[in-house]
Amino acid sequence: MLMMVFDVCSHGLLVLVLAPLFVGVIARVKARFAGRTGPSLLQPFFDLRRLFFKNSVYSRTTTWVFRAAPLVVFAAMLALSLLVPLGISRAPAAFTGDILWLAAMLGLARFFMITAALDTGFSMEGMGASREAFFACLGELALFMNFITLALLAHGFSLSGMIGVDAPLSWEHAGPALLLVAASLFIVLLAENCRIPVDDPDTHLELTMIHEVMILEHSGIDLAYMLYGAAVKLLLFAAILVPLVIPFRTGYPPVDMGIFLGGVTGMAVLVGVVESVMARLRLNRVRNFLLIAFVLAFFAFIVGLWRM
Amino acid sequence: MGTLFQSAWQVPFGAFTFRIDLLSAVFLVAITLLVVCAGIYGAGYMRAYAGKKPLGPHIFFYIVLALVLVVIATASNVVLFLGAWEIMSIATYLLIVFNDEDPAARKAGFLYLVMAHGGTFCLFLMFLLMAHTAGSMDFDMIARAQFPPVIAGTVFLLAMVGFGVKAGFIPGHIWLPHAHPAAPSHVSALLSGVAIKTGIYGICRVIWMTGGLPEWCGYVLVLTGVVSGVMGVLYALGQHELKKLLAYHSIENIGIIALGLGSGLLGRSYHDPLLTMLGFGGALLHVVNHSIFKGLLFFGAGAVIQKAHTGALDRLGGMAKNMPVTAALFLVGAVSICGLPLFNGFVSEFIIFFGLFHGLGHLPLPGAVVCGLAILALALMGALALACFTKVYGTVFLGEPRSLPAPERVHEVSVWMIVPMMVLAGLCLVIGVLPQPWVRLTLAAGAYIARALPSGVENVLAPLAMVTGMAAIFLVLAFVLAALRRLALSGLRPMALVPTWNCGFSGGTGVAPRFQYTASSFARPVMEFAKGVLLFRRQAPSIAADFPGKADLHSSVHDASESMLFYPLFRRLTSLSRRIDINRIRYTQTYLMYIFVFLLVLLVWKLK
Repeated sequence: MLMMVFDVCSHGLLVLVLAPLFVGVIARVKARFAGRTGPSLLQPFFDLRRLFFKNSVYSRTTTWVFRAAPLVVFAAMLALSLLVPLGISRAPAAFTGDILWLAAMLGLARFFMITAALDTGFSMEGMGASREAFFACLGELALFMNFITLALLAHGFSLSGMIGVDAPLSWEHAGPALLLVAASLFIVLLAENCRIPVDDPDTHLELTMIHEVMILEHSGIDLAYMLYGAAVKLLLFAAILVPLVIPFRTGYPPVDMGIFLGGVTGMAVLVGVVESVMARLRLNRVRNFLLIAFVLAFFAFIVGLWRM
Repeated sequence: MGTLFQSAWQVPFGAFTFRIDLLSAVFLVAITLLVVCAGIYGAGYMRAYAGKKPLGPHIFFYIVLALVLVVIATASNVVLFLGAWEIMSIATYLLIVFNDEDPAARKAGFLYLVMAHGGTFCLFLMFLLMAHTAGSMDFDMIARAQFPPVIAGTVFLLAMVGFGVKAGFIPGHIWLPHAHPAAPSHVSALLSGVAIKTGIYGICRVIWMTGGLPEWCGYVLVLTGVVSGVMGVLYALGQHELKKLLAYHSIENIGIIALGLGSGLLGRSYHDPLLTMLGFGGALLHVVNHSIFKGLLFFGAGAVIQKAHTGALDRLGGMAKNMPVTAALFLVGAVSICGLPLFNGFVSEFIIFFGLFHGLGHLPLPGAVVCGLAILALALMGALALACFTKVYGTVFLGEPRSLPAPERVHEVSVWMIVPMMVLAGLCLVIGVLPQPWVRLTLAAGAYIARALPSGVENVLAPLAMVTGMAAIFLVLAFVLAALRRLALSGLRPMALVPTWNCGFSGGTGVAPRFQYTASSFARPVMEFAKGVLLFRRQAPSIAADFPGKADLHSSVHDASESMLFYPLFRRLTSLSRRIDINRIRYTQTYLMYIFVFLLVLLVWKLK
């Protein structure tokens, strides 16, 4: 029991520390590409601290839903982090079918995010909410197609088993399928976390207007919760992808942990590179981009069936 | 095995048997719960009509409907079942046309009557076939008979048509989106919550009676579920009227139930007891869950419509400030129907998903592929339902009132209407957080449909226990975060409420109500994306001059099975009957003579 509490706490602490760092690495990479030195890696922490001690302003139009949304979003992401293995260890709360809970919890966070946006009555927030709801439909399809393929390859449907934390997945046996899944999941990562080329995390202007515009009216600690939640979500998606693409283990926990952290850093660099070298897609192209993710996963499914 | 109660009603030439087994019990729970809740709610809701309309017939037929629903769920005899079925159709019709001064209500009622009788015709054929093969009218005796595959397949198809029309499988659903909005809200809740479930009950009963169905039946049922579910929710997203939207959502949920039943049937065909139990059991739990949250949503919608005098989404807004309790309860229903954690919708979808993922790894290739398809469809339905209910909740309850009504005139509804909603919302939460006993019951009933004992229940109960634990952790975290926020804000000067910032565009005056994002705009990306299957029409004038004048925009979604299948069919039938109109029979006496001659022919045929 005590061990479990320790497990959960250390896991949670790791998530809380790594998530802003991940965002910091992306910002640094983007700055380097733009020829700037860029802010410190710890800048996201400073931003969060600043917001934490600021006052929150609420609109007269809003109801309690608006105030509940940051709590739900951040708490959902933290609760989810218990399902996602970080590095060597099985997740503290892995169970058969946890992927369903994962998808549903992401849905709950999204539900409150969208309703909070509509609660302000601000038309731009409504626009962002509408886009978020639409892209989520396609993202969900791609995500579940990946789950199906991985469940087929791993003969089980617990997240830790599916991404090869329990036993590394065999790239020799199922390499092509896994390659397709990894590519597809990376697109889902970009889309779910509103990165370029789907959305621009640096601006809320009309052309992009998805995630950033939905949190325009949030301020102070509410905004801090929202941003922290978004950072944790990004980290979790990266942590799901890393064991899949680095399928080997040395057997020495510290070394394995190092490999994992290196993989996560690599993932952050990759996201940063993609954000630097790509332009944001036109909005009506985004759906094609998400459908590509679905199709990749679908091909992976067919390849997986073929090899069975 | 599985029989909880049995009793015979002696009638001339035999006895009508009533029997309650596990399958009946699950439906009885849903029926009783919703009949009582809708009755209490109706007592409050119908106050508005007191003195304006005679309420006696309405109350009488409500009670008749409640009784026959119970008879349908417990009848163990073909004649009794069909008799109750017919009375249900007629009683429902009379409840739907309560607002008979409204031509739309009359039309909706008539459409329902036509569809219901078309379905019943198939049921007569089906029961005839079964009773003939088994040599008995008693369900128990039929269940003991062996059906050759051809007969079993025909019975199954007839059941899919006959019961499917009542349940609302696409394309037999066309009466549903007309009848639900036309009826008073407590009747809509009853219709959507339990009356359409009698179709599901019928299909379950047929699956139970025909011990072995051919393999293709499972595929047909799953695919019907996929089509009904995805199309139902897409149509729902395109609606502009609150109750019509909810009606289309019933089609979606019926699709989910059919999908679960179909996967159970696949499990039975391929001898996979776990998939069988999870498929049937998950579907049955969803039957109960859907009647709870859909009842709740219709009650909420009724409260809004009664106070705002409109169900047009793009005219409503900001109702949460005037009706905080209704708004909070509606939110519970909305989160439940999206299948999100903490509430009951998640539990049943979890079980169905669980079965499908199990089937993915354990069925032969075609079965596995269909399971994969079903998983995708279920995931898509969940995401679309989320889009749909954020749209509904956001436009009806949040933001500023768009045009109607004057906000100070809207008040919370009476306690008669609040209490049933509270009961249902409480049940959503209880089943969602402590699902174990309910899951045990429905899984036992699910296994009973396949005439087996539940085995391997722990496979799904253990993950569900983890789900409960995770829900607790989530709640604790949310409370900690809330406390932290309070602590952080307590040290600061309290801020006054201000108008929405609006990026400063409105100069500090807040949002203009008419500038808010509308439900139609919210749904447009999905509608545009799916216009290939949706018959999405959008009429907007093109901007010609430099200073465009007033303009109108219309967008609507048309139901393909209505405008391309049934209405042409009805037109064809009408013209056909016009053509044989020359020999129309003018006198009642002639009718009576025809009936007499027909009976005579039957007598001679029987005597020979």
